[in-house]
Amino acid sequence: MKPIPHEFAIGGVFMPPLLIASVFGAIAAVATAQLLNRVRLSKYFFYPPLVFLALTVVYTILIGTFIMGI
Amino acid sequence: MNRGTKIKEAFKTALAMTITYGIALEMGWDKPLWAGFAVAFCSLATIGQSFNKAVLRMSGTIVGAGAAVAMIALFAQQRWLFILFLSTYVGFCTYLMGGAKHPYFWNVSGFVCVIICMGAGPDSANAFQLAILRAQETGLGVLVYSLVSLLLWPTSSRAQFDTTALKLASTQHQLYRSYFSLMKGNGDEGGAQTLKTQELNERTRFNQLLDAAQTDTYEVWEARRQWRRYQGQISELTEAMERWSGSFSELQSLDVQTLCSNMDSFDAEMDLRFTQIRRMLANQSPDRHPNAIVPVFDEARLLDHSHFQKAALAVTRTQLQRMEALTRSAFDSVRDIKGFGQAAATVADAPRNDGFVLDPDRAAGVVRVVMTMWLAWFALVYIGQLPGGTTVLTMAAVLGMVMGGTPQLPVSLFFFPVAVSTFFSSLIYIYLMPQLSTFMVLGLLLFTVTFAICYLFAAPQQVLARLWGLAMFLTIASISNQQSYSFLVVANTALMFPVVFVMLAITACIPFSPRPERAFLRLLRRFFRSCEAWTACMRRDGRRPVTSYGRWKQAYHSREVSSLPQKLGAWAKFIDTRALPGTSPQKVQQLVARVQAITYRLQELSEARTRQHASFLVQELSGDARTWRLTVRKNFKRLSQNPAASEKKNFQIGLTGVMKHLEARVKHTLDRAENKRFSARDGENFYSLLGAYRGVCEALEDYAASAGAIDWTPWREERF
Repeated sequence: MKPIPHEFAIGGVFMPPLLIASVFGAIAAVATAQLLNRVRLSKYFFYPPLVFLALTVVYTILIGTFIMGI
Repeated sequence: MNRGTKIKEAFKTALAMTITYGIALEMGWDKPLWAGFAVAFCSLATIGQSFNKAVLRMSGTIVGAGAAVAMIALFAQQRWLFILFLSTYVGFCTYLMGGAKHPYFWNVSGFVCVIICMGAGPDSANAFQLAILRAQETGLGVLVYSLVSLLLWPTSSRAQFDTTALKLASTQHQLYRSYFSLMKGNGDEGGAQTLKTQELNERTRFNQLLDAAQTDTYEVWEARRQWRRYQGQISELTEAMERWSGSFSELQSLDVQTLCSNMDSFDAEMDLRFTQIRRMLANQSPDRHPNAIVPVFDEARLLDHSHFQKAALAVTRTQLQRMEALTRSAFDSVRDIKGFGQAAATVADAPRNDGFVLDPDRAAGVVRVVMTMWLAWFALVYIGQLPGGTTVLTMAAVLGMVMGGTPQLPVSLFFFPVAVSTFFSSLIYIYLMPQLSTFMVLGLLLFTVTFAICYLFAAPQQVLARLWGLAMFLTIASISNQQSYSFLVVANTALMFPVVFVMLAITACIPFSPRPERAFLRLLRRFFRSCEAWTACMRRDGRRPVTSYGRWKQAYHSREVSSLPQKLGAWAKFIDTRALPGTSPQKVQQLVARVQAITYRLQELSEARTRQHASFLVQELSGDARTWRLTVRKNFKRLSQNPAASEKKNFQIGLTGVMKHLEARVKHTLDRAENKRFSARDGENFYSLLGAYRGVCEALEDYAASAGAIDWTPWREERF
């Protein structure tokens, strides 16, 4: 069952779930990019900046859908 | 920096900040943070440096404010023309910011224009008041800091300047000794490299302190022309020593000490001059004066050597003569400065005017900052509710100008400083400031925070952290007479920066890849393209091209060949060799040194071709010179397509063949010269030219050897 969408509150400050999901998505994309660099698989990509953007979007959607609820 | 100096400098900045805010709030001026910025950005180590920066900031503010008011007046209801002209003006300032003259003035002019345009955007009726307010606040900050630094523990640049000048002269002397040992074949290359780096750092510091000392020390201002002349002479002397050191590989098979009959005297004379210059800089009168000396080669011994060996010696003699002339001039300049005698009148060469020559790297910076501004503008117009509103475009322009001028800096460099400074400033803004009620306690807070930031980041290398910390604190605190506290200020400021960073990250990839190793390869290709084009432009008779396009083309390519080695050196520092197996920082530095050697050899060739040569030599050897030129151009063209395609053996096969043929032709022609007029001067000029031809070939072979030592495959692979 997917989580119910809700805002996140830290000290009374409310933040939209998409913002949190995108932050975690970006962090996951950075980690993936570092791993791909280390094992030298990144050389098979034609244009890594666009791949990074795509990874960020994919992770944001996955985290938002299955963990956060957006 | 010792603790006492750190405390004094931090105290002065904190006091100036507090007084500035006090005056601005008392006068009822809006946005006192602009005055605070002026204090933060003009607080430098000495009075002279601070004054110079203050003058540039004030004049940049006035020019930027004027441009902003003009644009608002002209394009008040035409937002697309408005952003077009605004971005063009900022691009113009970014281009000029990359030049040698007053870069800070152009930087300030650009971002002040954007601040006023964006600040007055929703309320253009008050644009003029906003421009005046900016100039007022900046003037206030500059004035208060200047007075505080002048009256409270004033620190003149004089002592540091004198010390640096002496250290620089000493390092140049050591460098000369090191190169002389290398020429004899028993020197230490690693030690020479260390001294070269040390000399460069000291000369950079000397140039900065000369500007400052000229402002805050009357004696230096009085002798400013002589100091500037000395500055030019030591810079040329360094270049002459670098060119001299680049020819050592050609002298390996020769015993220069034996072939030159007065080498020991020459060396002693040069040592004497360096020593006397140091004496005078230490305010002691010279006890010996220089005598002109020319290195003399034993003609009888030279008969046993080939023409190419004679040519290599001719090049070395030219370089030694140049160094002799420069050290004599430097001695005269210092003697004049210190009042131990008058310098001989010298006639400076008239500067050659080649017109405007575009710098492609500065132009790329302009493209980047303009694109960043347009991206921010589209986001403001079509998305609308961005955190920070029009401040997004302001920050995009400010950071875009910085990144455009130094494209080597990654955007990620700003993440940590922004996050930390925003966090600490937010704590003060949210928890501390609402408890304050009068200016006494507010002033105490301002003083304490400014003092802490300036004390903790007092080292010269930490200046960016200090400026960023102060700027973020003043921005988030947003102190004004009608003070209000809202978490939205913190949230909007914190969220605005990721938006700006995303825009900068997008434009970093346009038009070129931001990766340092890709930039390095791109610059190498451009370097060899310009080498090929410049060699093609070299006219047979050494005169300048006739058409203006020809002259411009020659000026463009010669500028590229002269400036690209420094740009390669700048990019080389940012290459992460851990991600490039088969490459080390030392190999990359050696490659850059080989590229610089090619530049020097081509410049020598260009100079040698302009000299008068015996007409029969020109007639006999023009065909062979053309063959040589075509071969070298072919190699440059091959390298311009692939700088890594450089196996030393292939180069040697290509170049050695043409050099052997040229040597045979030279021998044949000179044997027939007994029947023709061939003066000593003709001989000297001819051997300099021959040495220059050979020098280019040797430099190309050395480059091939260095490039062959690097594994270029990882350089071309794609990475995140």
